[in-house]
Amino acid sequence: MAQNDLGFVICWIFEAKKIALNVYRMCSLIRQYTIVTPSDIFILLNSNFFFFFFLGEQIKERMKLNERSVAHYATCDSPPDKTGFLFKKGERHTAYHRRWFVLKGNMLFYFEDRDSREPIGVIVLEGCTVELCESVEEFAFAIKFDCAKSKVYKLVAENQASMESWVKALSRASFDYMRLVVKELERQLEEVQEAAGGGVGDGQQGRPKPALLNQMVQSRSASSFLSSSASSLSSSSSTPSMTAPQMAQKSHQEEVQLISRSSKENGVTWSKPPASWANGSGEGAPSCAVWEGSADPGVPPVPPRRRGASLESPVSPGTGCFSKLHDWYGKEVMELRELWLQSQ
Amino acid sequence: MRFNEKEMVSLSRQPSEMAAELGMRGPKKGDVVKRRLVKLVVNFLFYFRIDEEEPIGALLLEQCRVEKEDKQTFSIAFLDEAERKYVFECDSEDQCKEWIDAIIKASYEFMRKNLIFYRTEIHRLTGKDPLEQYGISDEARFQVSNGLQALPRETSTL
Repeated sequence: MAQNDLGFVICWIFEAKKIALNVYRMCSLIRQYTIVTPSDIFILLNSNFFFFFFLGEQIKERMKLNERSVAHYATCDSPPDKTGFLFKKGERHTAYHRRWFVLKGNMLFYFEDRDSREPIGVIVLEGCTVELCESVEEFAFAIKFDCAKSKVYKLVAENQASMESWVKALSRASFDYMRLVVKELERQLEEVQEAAGGGVGDGQQGRPKPALLNQMVQSRSASSFLSSSASSLSSSSSTPSMTAPQMAQKSHQEEVQLISRSSKENGVTWSKPPASWANGSGEGAPSCAVWEGSADPGVPPVPPRRRGASLESPVSPGTGCFSKLHDWYGKEVMELRELWLQSQ
Repeated sequence: MRFNEKEMVSLSRQPSEMAAELGMRGPKKGDVVKRRLVKLVVNFLFYFRIDEEEPIGALLLEQCRVEKEDKQTFSIAFLDEAERKYVFECDSEDQCKEWIDAIIKASYEFMRKNLIFYRTEIHRLTGKDPLEQYGISDEARFQVSNGLQALPRETSTL
């Protein structure tokens, strides 16, 4: 949003009865291009004219977005990740409206109705947590964001199953989560191919799979796995480059290398053992000497807590371990489910 | 269309490895090249006026095509309006290639395709579904059919 240094707009109106209409018109016009709250507008009546004072720093241009294309993404042929009706609490008023929701990737679109051609709006699911609500409404949950003064989107499902299903789907909707899963599979594929191809020498070290899954993924994507927050990197996530794995099969060697490189570009560290385990080797899964012959190293040390992590959030980002986070989440859902059943 | 602007501005402030001053020209006739700070965060391309903290705007990088226009220039066009191109001028050919590469990979759909590829490959080689151990095999977003376009499905007729 660009900041305009508008001092004030002066409007001369000579006839008293036209004043109200013109105030309304002026506000509507401005609202189209700016975000101005009523408290920003000071109106001074002085006989024949109005002064509209807009505090310079309060006027901001609405941020642009390629809305037409975004709306097209919502309605195009690509299969959505989840759809269904939910009640959404209005943004200005407290009434709930039944809307048709479409989740695609990290974008949650909502339509007035199932056959509407264009969405009313979209919620970008980055940097948010999804929490069950301890509220009057049954089957309520909320999407909360990490940033200051941010909105809370309250949603109500039609039944318990729908609520659980939505909470799960939305928690996994972030870009970083998808990236994490892709990296994990990429790594597994390398392993499998090395084992199968028997190509590279260190491919047969008998590393137990569970040990590898406990690798610390020291990236912001892991430490905020479920909260899917992209905000404030933990101090430990400096990013050494990941060496391109040696692939037995050349056919997708290039693609994987590209992806490995892009992992560096995207600021995600993969396969970096934490300092306390370091045996000197700090790069790339295949050359991870740290893991050789070691049994499951046990509970990995918890990375420093991400700054700004909400302590109340049920999705504590205290651990960066992929599978641990899954277990943790599963437990949480179970516990909440218990609580809900007990309250019935 | 409404969107959570505050949160997007906050997102635009996240550290990103792809951020540079480029010449940017809008898709409308008569748009001129302007120097902008262009920043890639997840699947959004934010653009700022130089030295401003908040972005002028963002482009969602889904359903788009990135093309090299000439040695140091690339363009982004969206599939629903292929003639409207956002043009970006880089300082070198290398930089241009880097950006094209990064933008292509910055889409959620691109990652999904990779995931499906890996999942299928691992399954083919080991007979096991690699996602099973995490209990996410049934997640819609990881399904093989998601990699294919234009599959008639009840949920996609909107």
